[in-house]
Amino acid sequence: MPIYESVMQEKPPIVLDIGNAYTKLGFAAEAYPRKIMPTEVVMTTTGVRKRLLDYDTQEELYDQLVDFLQTIFFKHLLVSPKERKFVLVENVFGPTVLRETLARVLFVHFDVSSVLFVPVHLIALSTLAVPTALVVDIGYSETSVMPVFCGVQIMAAFKDQSYGGRAIHAEIRRQLVETGVKESLLTESVLEDIKVRACFVTTMERAQAFAQGGEDQPTAAPGVDYIVSDNDAVIQVPGVLRETVYEIMFEDSNERDSLAHLILRSILDCTLDVRRALVESVFLVGGGSMVQGLLARLRQELQHLLAKDPFYAERFHGELQFKFFNAIGKQNFTAWLGGALCGATDLIQTRSLVKETYLKSEHVPDWSNLCDNRPTGS
Amino acid sequence: MSFMQPSPVKYACSCGILNPINKLFFCRHCPKLHCGFCVTHEIESHFCSNCLENIPSTEARHKKNCCANCFDCPCCQHTLSARASTVPVVRKSEESKDAKEPKDGDSTGEATPPVPASSKPSAVPTTKKMYYLSCLSCRWTTRDVGIPDQGVATGTWPDNECLYQARFNALVEYFQAVVLQEKQEKLEFMRRKAPKQHKFPSLTDRTGLTVSLIRRQIGWNDKVPKAKAVITPAEATAEVEELPASIFTEQLNLRNVTTIAQRHSQPADQPTAVGSLYPQRRSLWIKRSLRCRQCEHNLIKPEYHPTSIKYRIQLFASYHVPEVVMVRCEQPLVPGKSNAILLKLTNPTMYDMTIRLLTAAPPEDPQLSAETTRAVKEEPISSSPLLKTVGITLSRQNSTREVKREVLDASNAEIVPLESEFVLSQRDDSKEFDEYVQLPTEEPKFIVWRKGNKVLVRLQFTPDAELPSSTDVILGFFMQYTYVNTVTNAPEKKEPTTHALHSRVFITAGATEEKAN
Repeated sequence: MPIYESVMQEKPPIVLDIGNAYTKLGFAAEAYPRKIMPTEVVMTTTGVRKRLLDYDTQEELYDQLVDFLQTIFFKHLLVSPKERKFVLVENVFGPTVLRETLARVLFVHFDVSSVLFVPVHLIALSTLAVPTALVVDIGYSETSVMPVFCGVQIMAAFKDQSYGGRAIHAEIRRQLVETGVKESLLTESVLEDIKVRACFVTTMERAQAFAQGGEDQPTAAPGVDYIVSDNDAVIQVPGVLRETVYEIMFEDSNERDSLAHLILRSILDCTLDVRRALVESVFLVGGGSMVQGLLARLRQELQHLLAKDPFYAERFHGELQFKFFNAIGKQNFTAWLGGALCGATDLIQTRSLVKETYLKSEHVPDWSNLCDNRPTGS
Repeated sequence: MSFMQPSPVKYACSCGILNPINKLFFCRHCPKLHCGFCVTHEIESHFCSNCLENIPSTEARHKKNCCANCFDCPCCQHTLSARASTVPVVRKSEESKDAKEPKDGDSTGEATPPVPASSKPSAVPTTKKMYYLSCLSCRWTTRDVGIPDQGVATGTWPDNECLYQARFNALVEYFQAVVLQEKQEKLEFMRRKAPKQHKFPSLTDRTGLTVSLIRRQIGWNDKVPKAKAVITPAEATAEVEELPASIFTEQLNLRNVTTIAQRHSQPADQPTAVGSLYPQRRSLWIKRSLRCRQCEHNLIKPEYHPTSIKYRIQLFASYHVPEVVMVRCEQPLVPGKSNAILLKLTNPTMYDMTIRLLTAAPPEDPQLSAETTRAVKEEPISSSPLLKTVGITLSRQNSTREVKREVLDASNAEIVPLESEFVLSQRDDSKEFDEYVQLPTEEPKFIVWRKGNKVLVRLQFTPDAELPSSTDVILGFFMQYTYVNTVTNAPEKKEPTTHALHSRVFITAGATEEKAN
């Protein structure tokens, strides 16, 4: 990479994407993260592992973040954070407390030179080099939909729902407990392992047949014996479970909040002129979107709703065909990859929040804060 | 001593966090206690924890913090070891000269498939050593995934390439060009917007006319040709990958599907099938040095070489601060009932110490506080005599902004302070082997036993009366001790100075008794 090594300064910026379940970390201008690690800290006082983002007080969060970042810098990235530049991928609607605390940890405790916050949906799109897409981020705690048109996020059309990895885990647990599996066996890691290795999204016809019940149910995919090596136990995972756990994302209820509804409603919230462009460019990112069969099912559902649902048939006109982008790399680090691209450019010099500015006001500029967005400045 | 379990005696660090003494450091220049939280960590050297090779930081960065020779098992993240196997190599006698060359060099690194020995009757059967990597923990080998055996044990293992590297490079170049272009346009705009403040206004400055005139005179194009950044954008398709029909009928073998940890250890491609796992280069470890945030002196500096476990600078608190060990309580802990605890104090320094145990913070040593504040301020300047004379203060960017916390005062017992101070004699290793003779000396009442640099003290206390049963009783007191500092901040003074320091100590004495029913 001789061309941009001259452009880039001596120390490449560090790119962090701290997700609810997994944290992606690495350096700018690299094609994949150095490591994908669980967002967990081991408490120094008690030795207990806990999720980074479970906290009671802000001071507790601060201490956990210090511990967490310390392991990132000195165990995984092996660089000193002092006087470094950072790119942080953040949720646009993430809690302010987290953002402010993270900035305080980085600037005050670790003495970093600048931090560039980038919104996850927009930056994930930069890996495609297209300006317009409907970005669907399926994460651990939530699924969010954000339309982006010509590089501008349409905030008014943002939609989110709480079905993500966590909801899937809960569903697997519910179904397994129903079949008589001891609940103590079903730790979070076991559930995740079952989800990742055995489950998939089935087709629409089969899902509907399963939901209706009755006589003519299709024969489910074969079941699997899952071995819990820690406890010397075997969990029998039924085939129906393997096929139907993801149905919570496509549930047909009166709430009309399944993933397909979410996408269509988000498109309807945008102005008329951009709708066709968005329909023809849907981009799925996040670790949850890597499951087998999701894309096919989503397309099927979307086309079905467009054709059959009177609400949408009234509002969408013409021959509409949903089209999907293929991510480069894996979807679970697409947002990180966008951050790595961003960190390789000059934007890191011009758009970052530098230490001096931060220390003057001890405040991170935010789009939702009126103080930072007054037209007159000041 | 408390081995492998949390120590009952904790010291309050200068930042307000409680720690056992073995996790604390002592800055001789401040002089204060510090813990891992309130010092700056720095990277001293990189090394591989398996082959113990020292790797310079530039090389480490170039190799992405991975060892060139060692590999981790992609299945269980254990270290892989190279195993040798002998493979019969068949060589015809006239070809032996040609074949000899790659064998000596061993640089080809290409796997020669074992040729059946009986192919030619004139063949001379010889053997060649071939290597493969094997995990001693889970029995995974490189042969499982079809990586050919190598002629040398290290160095020739192929890396798995990132599939979209070319596309990623194109994207990086594209975005850099776009950002650069934007910046130039902005500059151009600013230039036009803010004309030079000349005495006489000139039209040409404002319009950029001169440039275009000159260009025309030379015979160039009028417009500056702009290189536009181009990239083929990704295309969306309506064709999506359908579920394979076999998924509904075929038995799933979980042994062939990777776990999420295995996928994440190979972040670039994250294979789902066990067959595409690939040996991963082992990531390096570091040696850390620690630095005080206030005065920027090193607290810990390890020796450079990876095989050495020694330090060049080691300012652990247990070498400077008297150690308090809880021996036992005299009676069972009952709320509201007076009790006594036996504490063993040890002096680790080469000077005698005078110790007082107090319930309230003693006044700060005036000489010390003045000296340290001055030292902190003057430290940066004193390094350069030139700057000192000029009088410029180059304030170093040390982050003393970290908010100081209040010590969490959790003590729930009333302490009776010791009535007088006592002297703890210096450490003398040779005395350890002397015959122990109790000299009839005048000792304060609270001293139970004394030998060399150790003393056993009886401290009276009363747990709070309203404590519920089976809660931990925590004693908190201030320990004031004299510390002889052999390093001085002021260069003119050479003799060691004596400070009266104090640290706050909290002891978890144990749980109160269950109420007798």
